[in-house]
Parts: sequence; C-alpha cells; structure tokens
Amino acid sequence: MDIIVCMKWTPDTSEADLTVDKEGKDIRKDDLDFDMNDWDRFAIEEAVQLKEKVGGKVTAVAVAPEDAEGMLRECLARGADEAYQLWDDAFEGSDGYAVAAILAKFIKDRPHDLVLTGTLADDDCGGQIGGMVAAMLDIPGSTLVSKIQISDGKLTCHRELEGGLYESIEMDLPAVLSVATGLNEPRFVSVRAVRKVAALEIPTLELGDLGLEASAVGSDGSRIRIELMELPPEGEGAEIITGKAEEAAAKLAEILKEKGGIGS
Amino acid sequence: MKEIFVLAEHRKQQLRDTTWEALAAGRKLAEDLGAELTCLLLGSNVDAMADALAKEAPRVLVVEDPRLEPFHPDACMQTLKAILADRGPFMLVMGNSNALLDLAPGLSVTLDAALATDCFKFEVRDGKPLAWRQMYSYKVNTLVSFKDAERIVATLRGGAFAFTPSGAAVATVEKVASPLGGTTFRRRFVGYVEAEKGDVDVASADIIVSVGRGIGDEPDMEMFESLAEAMGGVLACSRPIVDKNLLPKYHQVGTSGVEVKPKVYLALGISGAFQHVGGIKGSPLLVAVNKDPRAPIFRVAQYGIVADLNQVVPALTDKIKQLKG
Ligand SMILES: Cc1cc2nc3c(=O)[nH]c(=O)nc-3n(C[C@H](O)[C@H](O)[C@H](O)COP(=O)(O)OP(=O)(O)OC[C@H]3O[C@@H](n4cnc5c(N)ncnc54)[C@H](O)[C@@H]3O)c2cc1C
Ligand SMILES: Nc1ncnc2c1ncn2[C@@H]1O[C@H](COP(=O)(O)O)[C@@H](O)[C@H]1O
Repeated sequence: MDIIVCMKWTPDTSEADLTVDKEGKDIRKDDLDFDMNDWDRFAIEEAVQLKEKVGGKVTAVAVAPEDAEGMLRECLARGADEAYQLWDDAFEGSDGYAVAAILAKFIKDRPHDLVLTGTLADDDCGGQIGGMVAAMLDIPGSTLVSKIQISDGKLTCHRELEGGLYESIEMDLPAVLSVATGLNEPRFVSVRAVRKVAALEIPTLELGDLGLEASAVGSDGSRIRIELMELPPEGEGAEIITGKAEEAAAKLAEILKEKGGIGS
Repeated sequence: MKEIFVLAEHRKQQLRDTTWEALAAGRKLAEDLGAELTCLLLGSNVDAMADALAKEAPRVLVVEDPRLEPFHPDACMQTLKAILADRGPFMLVMGNSNALLDLAPGLSVTLDAALATDCFKFEVRDGKPLAWRQMYSYKVNTLVSFKDAERIVATLRGGAFAFTPSGAAVATVEKVASPLGGTTFRRRFVGYVEAEKGDVDVASADIIVSVGRGIGDEPDMEMFESLAEAMGGVLACSRPIVDKNLLPKYHQVGTSGVEVKPKVYLALGISGAFQHVGGIKGSPLLVAVNKDPRAPIFRVAQYGIVADLNQVVPALTDKIKQLKG
C-alpha cells in the first residue's frame, strides 16, 4: 500500500511571546522555534504503523522552505521510506487553497492508496488542507479520524463528533484521512535511528518539476489574503493575582473560599 | 454579494446550536451587504425543523433525501453543488463544528469558492465582506479578505455569533427535488459510537480542577488529585492529557469531550483554545494558572495567576487545607 503523509513545518507559538512584524500582516518569526506540526506527528506514526501491518511504502511530503529538511529527515527516522520537499520562491505567500493545490499535484503524479494529514495546523488553525486535497483528487476523505483499519481495499475508521460521540464510517480507497491527535502513541526517535537516515537524499521539487504554473501558487493562486494581524490586548478579562507563587496561591485560596470554590 | 446562504446543521432530527448562530451571522451579513438571506436545510423528514427555521429566516429551502440523513459530507456537497450551480455571487456560512469540518473545505473546491474557516467576526468594506479569524495557537487575530471572489464559504467560531429570535413573519418553505439521483458514495456511514462512561462524572461536578499540557510530560498526577480533593472537586483535563493517556477520555472538557457546568473551574497549564473553553457552559468562577501572560485563557478567566503551576499547586493545596481547618 502506498501511503503519502503531508507534514507541516510550524513555529511553536503556544508558549512564545508573539509580536506582529512591521508590515502588520504576520508575526515575527526569527526568534521562534519551528517543529513538526503537532497533529502531523500522529499522522506520520499512523502511516508507519499501517505499513508495518499491511506492508507498502510511506512517503512524507512538505510544502516548506529549506529549513524544514530536518523535519522530513525525522520522518525517515520514524520509519518513512522516502521524503520530498516541495519548494520554490513562487510558493511564498500561498494560502491553504494554493498549498492544497501543490500537494494534490504531487500526490496525483504518484501511486497513492492512502493520504494522511493532520486535522489542523497550529499556525494557521485552518483545518482545511485534508478536505481540499480530497476534493482536488476527487477521492473521499474525513477529518478527526481514529481507529483506522484496512482490509481488502476497504477502510473503516472512527471520526470524532461532539460530546465524546463518534461515528463509524467506511470508505473506498484511495482516500484522504486527516487524523485526530491521540489515535496512537508516536514512537521515541533514537539517535541511532536518526544516524541511520542521515545520508538519505531528500529531493526538493520546484514549480517546474511539479508541472505547476506560477499563477496557480503563491499569492496569485491564493483565494484569501491576509490584510491585518493584531494581538488582542493583554490581560483583558482576568484580574491577575500578583505576588510570588506562594503568596498568589494563598490569595487565591482566600478568593476560592469566599466564592464557594471549596466544597466538602 | 447578491445572496447569503446559511446551512442548517442537525443531528437525530434536532437542529444544532450552530444553525442558529449561523443564522445570526447570516442575518447581519445580509443586512450589511444588502443581500438576500436563505436558509438551506438538507436531510430527511425535516418538516418540524423547517417550520422552526421558517419563523426566523426570510426564506427556507429544503432538499429531502434519505441519503442526506445522517449527515453525509459527500451527499451534502453534491446537493449544494447542484442547487447553487447557477447562483451568484453568494456567500455560504455554516458552523465550524466537528461534522462540518468534513464539508466546508471540499465544498469550497467543488463550488470554486474562497474559504475562511472558524471566523469570529465579519466586516464589510467597499461592499465586500472580510473575515476575522485567529492564527498561531489562537493567540493572534487576523483580518482576511476574499480578493474578488464571487463565491465565498465561511465557517463560524462556536459561540461567536449570538442569536436572538426575531419573531418575524413566517417564511414559506420551498422544497427542491433531490438532485442525488442514483448516486452511490465512496464513503458510508456505519453507525454512531456512544461516549465511554467512566467512574467520574465531570459533567455534573460543581468544582473542577482541570489540567492541560502545561503539566509536562511526566507530571505528578497525585499533586493535582490532592488539590482536587482538598477543594472537594473532581479532576478534568484538556485534550493533550487524554492523548498522552494520562487520564481517560471521559475527563476531557471541550467541544469534542464533555460539556461541563461547574460553579468553579480552575484551569492549570491550559492555554484556552476555543475547543476547550467551548465545553465550559454556564458562567463559573473561572481561574487560570499559566506562565504565559498572553495565554487566551486569561481573556475568559475572572482571576489569573501568571506563574509556574508546579509552585502554585502545592502551596494552594496547603493553604486550602489550612482554611478548611
Ligand atoms: C476539532 C477539534 C476538536 C478539539 N476538541 C478539543 C476538546 O474537546 N478539548 C480540548 O481541550 N481541546 C480540544 N481540541 C484541541 C485544542 O485546539 C487545543 O489544542 C487544546 O485544547 C490545547 O490544550 P492545552 O491548553 O492543554 O495545551 P496548550 O495549548 O499547549 O497549552 C499549554 C499551556 O500551558 C502553559 N504552561 C506550560 N508550562 C507551564 C507551567 N509550568 N506552569 C503554568 N503554565 C504552563 C503554556 O503557557 C500554555 O498556555 C480540539 C481541536 C480541534 C481541531
Ligand atoms: N505546507 C504544508 N505542507 C504539507 N502538509 C501541509 C501543509 N500545510 C498543511 N498541511 C497538512 O494539512 C493539515 C491541516 O492543515 P491546515 O489546513 O493548514 O490547518 C496539517 O496537519 C498537515 O498535515
């Protein structure tokens, strides 16, 4: 079975102090650490586990500039068989639609029984690439997927609804599955595993290699445009309890007691 | 924009809250853009739902087909493609629910429309709609335009658009024949799988101590249990804690977890993503401990402590025990 996994290289913003850049249309990223998008770590693990069960080949792919090579190499260390970086200066400024178009073109040109993505990227919080790629390839898809099982060219899985409710669905292959976090336990990557793949080549495919037109990618190929970015004002809302941790904790205990936050 | 369409979401013959919120957003857009508003209801045996919508929307368009029930993204996509084929320019809005996450992106490709997901506010400039949404761990507000798109699909942040019944004149319900014909789908619904029940019922707890990713990879869970016990409450968590198997799923608060209605909610190391806080209903005393002063949770909390939770929690537990005497 040929499995293609889409991997996004994202800045880690969950604990970082963010500032908007001069143009006011993006955040400053020079001081941020970049890593594999959280959801995608589960996607690459699922791909490798499926391969280990039913056999086949796993290809990791990222639309990302040079710096992302380390992430793709980590995919190889995690058990992917090959990895491709798709990048061209013309890709700069692509929105979700343009990125999906690049990925769909890459996937269309090679064997694919299953395409895996994460459900959401932590940078754009879009949750759109999986569904768009499926529509562009004209194959079925689903997001928030767990418990994936494959036999005789048929796939069954769970997809998460609200309130702990799931639906069980089946699909014909090929299909695009956008995985939910927690559907597996991503493996630990040993130094040995990293060393083993150090010499493997990770080809970069550019606009021409993919047979794409410049007008279909980058800001020209995008359907939405960022006009403005701003940080909501700090502390709007909560009253911050000051003092050293112990002092603040003591004050909080008093507040909780007063407001009925201490039950029996 | 000539027309605004609102897609109704329903499950098990009940309209979901997302439908009313989408209608609220649609009404405002129609007014600001001078466009006509139509509510689309796709399903099977939908009369009662159609009547409810007709009291609130100026036009209701219904397509009935057994293949549209339960919700099937591919059946919806093909139906919408057929009924919207000759329309335009239009904007179609719907909830950003877990179910509709499977519809909107593919639909935007099928309709050749521009897409913005999870929008929390709209603006109109020069007769064109723009959308506000969030990026970067939901910490940054972003205004996006749709360039010159003649067709737009937008999904809406849960809770961002408040609905008020208008009690306006009752609309006629227009039924359109299903365009699905003999279509078979390559994705099939098998059944619902109900939530797993546990020994703790966080849904009915009055006092909740909730832990998030900020507790680290190898947390001392007893420390949090002691605090919960001292407070006379129960322990809950955000999604990453369940993903790491630190607590079972029935402890997870949020849109895809449990909905809670406590009197007090203490969030420890939780950033406050809307999928998490969306599961906290009522208006509890919400207190957050987080080392990031810009964490979104501080925007919904009444009290906050900006500190390392590992220092706050033991001190808080001791102090509470002391106060209880
Ligand atoms: C469709 C969908 C459904 C979802 N459903 C849910 C759901 O039901 N429930 C849910 O919770 N999430 C859900 N999520 C995930 C959600 O988007 C967030 O990713 C998640 O809530 C983040 O959890 P967190 O706050 O624990 O982690 P993070 O966002 O990583 O936040 C960790 C926080 O801890 C703080 N921190 C770190 N170390 C310390 C320390 N030592 N002391 C104090 N603070 C510290 C950090 O500053 C940070 O703010 C869903 C997502 C999607 C796309
Ligand atoms: N630039 C990219 N390269 C490869 N995969 C991507 C890229 N952007 C998004 N994806 C995939 O699509 C998923 C959803 O992303 P998004 O729609 O941006 O929230 C991610 O989890 C990735 O699997």
